[in-house]
Amino acid sequence: MVKIEDIKIGQVIRNEFNQITKELIKEYSKVGGFAKLASNPIHEKEEFAKKAGHKGIIAHGLFSFGFITKLLDDFIEKEKYGKIIKVGVEMRHPVRCEDLLITEAIVKKKEGKRVYFDIVQKTITKIHIEKDGKIVQFYEASEKGYISKKDYTKGYIKKKEVDKGTLYYRERINSPGYAIIELFN
Amino acid sequence: MINLMNPEEIKKNAEFLIDFLPGMEIPGSVNFRCKYKQMVKLAKCFGINDPIYVGSEESGIIACPAFANAFSAKLYINMARIIFEQDGKKRGLVLDFKKLLHAGNEYDWDGCVKIKPGDILMIKGKIGKVWVNEDMRLFGEIFQTIRNQDGELVCKVKSLATIAPGGY
Repeated sequence: MVKIEDIKIGQVIRNEFNQITKELIKEYSKVGGFAKLASNPIHEKEEFAKKAGHKGIIAHGLFSFGFITKLLDDFIEKEKYGKIIKVGVEMRHPVRCEDLLITEAIVKKKEGKRVYFDIVQKTITKIHIEKDGKIVQFYEASEKGYISKKDYTKGYIKKKEVDKGTLYYRERINSPGYAIIELFN
Repeated sequence: MINLMNPEEIKKNAEFLIDFLPGMEIPGSVNFRCKYKQMVKLAKCFGINDPIYVGSEESGIIACPAFANAFSAKLYINMARIIFEQDGKKRGLVLDFKKLLHAGNEYDWDGCVKIKPGDILMIKGKIGKVWVNEDMRLFGEIFQTIRNQDGELVCKVKSLATIAPGGY
């Protein structure tokens, strides 16, 4: 049971999604209601995305938004313990195929039965794996040139040891935001 | 990205739109029919498998919160059809749709009812503030109110759209 008195300031709820594929992005574009004039082919066709300067298809901005409402809805167990009042995000960077999407909601304050969250949604984009100074595995980000100089200067590029060698990846916030839920108890 | 419009033209267009657009009612309204299949397919895109959202049609599902994504961009069709005059010449709001992106979104469900399959939503909207950033990227707020066939409030949406230079 989720009760207002059990919620702590600074408490974090989190979900991860690692199944972003071209097929899913296209499927979302189809069922997301973007048909006809409101449709943008940069979410479906490589050549259009490249012409628009994106280097490859990107997910619709609202696609990642769905994981925020899912996180909050899971937390209140589909309105068993409360309801979602408001969710807002700024869409800073696109989400792409192969990205790991991490969504976190951090409790900022409580007022009556309402809980206010800061939302941080970030992507982990694998770039390549190096071993003994040689690249042993490429990912879509390195093949299509998704990584920019800005990513390096802003400190988004990180590395960690994995089975095959050293994995280089980009970690950046794609959508900061806020949310309000109202609990019943 | 290749930009064929010169900086003076971009600046002139930006100044015109910043002055002309704020407060404009988006012409007409959009009616959106909520279909069971679309509600289920959209929920599944987010890995949602709870029967309250993806159960059988007979069981009486409701739309998952993210279903608001399905209709919150519908009014853009009407926006795309807006034609107005600038310096005596007719023009559309967006000149190059490849340069149009969604920059932000806020859904407000306070006091709203749930969406069920078969509901018909009516979407109305107006344009809020319009501005450019230091890179001459144009930003505009769009406020939408969505009601169901019984006139009940379903959702209020505040969107932020952005158009890269040359696209407006």
